[in-house]
Amino acid sequence: MSDLMYEGLNLALYGMGTVFLFLTLLVGATVLMSALIGLTERGDNESQQQTGLDPKILAAIGAAIYQHRKR
Amino acid sequence: MEQLLELWRGTGIHQLELDQAVMLGIGLLLLYLAIAKGFEPLLLVPIGFGGILSNIPGVDIAVGDGVLHQFYMMGIETGVFPLLIFMGVGALTDFGPLLANPKTLFLGAAAQFGIFATLLGALALTSAGVFDFNIAEASAIGIIGGADGPTAIYVAGKLAPHLLGAIAVAAYSYMALVPLIQPPIMRLLTTKAERQIEMRQLREVSQREKIFFPLTLLLLVALMVPSAAPLLGMFCFGNLMRECGVVDRLSDTTQNALINIVTILLGLAVGSKLQAGQFLVMETLGILSLGMVAFCIGTAAGVIMAKLMNLVSKQKINPLIGAAGVSAVPMAARVASRVGLEENPHNFLLMHAMGPNVAGVIGSAVAAGILIRFAGS
Repeated sequence: MSDLMYEGLNLALYGMGTVFLFLTLLVGATVLMSALIGLTERGDNESQQQTGLDPKILAAIGAAIYQHRKR
Repeated sequence: MEQLLELWRGTGIHQLELDQAVMLGIGLLLLYLAIAKGFEPLLLVPIGFGGILSNIPGVDIAVGDGVLHQFYMMGIETGVFPLLIFMGVGALTDFGPLLANPKTLFLGAAAQFGIFATLLGALALTSAGVFDFNIAEASAIGIIGGADGPTAIYVAGKLAPHLLGAIAVAAYSYMALVPLIQPPIMRLLTTKAERQIEMRQLREVSQREKIFFPLTLLLLVALMVPSAAPLLGMFCFGNLMRECGVVDRLSDTTQNALINIVTILLGLAVGSKLQAGQFLVMETLGILSLGMVAFCIGTAAGVIMAKLMNLVSKQKINPLIGAAGVSAVPMAARVASRVGLEENPHNFLLMHAMGPNVAGVIGSAVAAGILIRFAGS
């Protein structure tokens, strides 16, 4: 086999290997990223619910706004 | 009488040589394919017209101080035009389907096999004495298999500028021919039952994920393959502008006005490489046929990869979407979707095929970085 073919084969194996390795890592990184973001977003929703006002107070505010608009 | 003779010598008819006449014909053919047949018209109209301009006898349009040569030096020699186009492509790309099913990145990786197989094919032809390509030229020819116009032009501009005309023409013509090239290969490699596999609807992807993805991708590029950072950096920048939601004006310019302006200049600059002396050589025939082989191998590798993934994965994927891994956005995804619909009218594969399709863009840019790094020196 000529030097040129040998060099080409080397480049092809290295290149294909790197493309696969890179995209495999990207799959991992993407899954991890989505999981982390999923966690924080769920956290956000929960904390919103926790700081949420008492339903009675909410009802009172709603009624006040309603009366204000009726005027 | 002397003056009359001088006038005659100044005419195009007197100076026209046979090869220039042939190239004028090829320029017209490209215009015909673009206008009458709808072959990638956005690129082939400027390339074809640029090709005609560069072969007008008696005037230097594509060399020296000529305007097309200026465009070439400014935009392709430096790599600026393909990079700006890549930024626009980034701004046009929705990573939603990919984020909903990241496994499809593997399909985009497999389809790059076409690039490296073609590189080896070009070198094998050299060893056999048919052509005389060195490793840089073989790499530039192989990148046609990436089925990505700006990437192909970027790599050819860096590695083999004298072959750029043929490589760009091959890349864009075959991208236009994807609906004809791919389906027979896809049908050959899959069974009817496989083509009928239905895929589950993709989950919703949040805006935060879409904002963080280009940053994640860029970080990984910076750490792993910095040589791909010019291409993927511009790509990620364009995508971040699209998704972040606070620079809509910039995003709008990038994906419309800017990409259009650069496309005109890029097409004309590529046309400057269609001069008779450079294009009408045996190598061009070799490039056109190797480019076709690259497309076929890439398609086949994507489909086979999808079948391999089905062997190990519980959640089946329809192997047709593997063919979309060659990039050629969005044509290849549409082809996968169309072939799927023929087999099963309830199967909508388009969104599923967009995942491997954009993964193919990333994959070919990574491959481009590696080729430039190792074949460029």
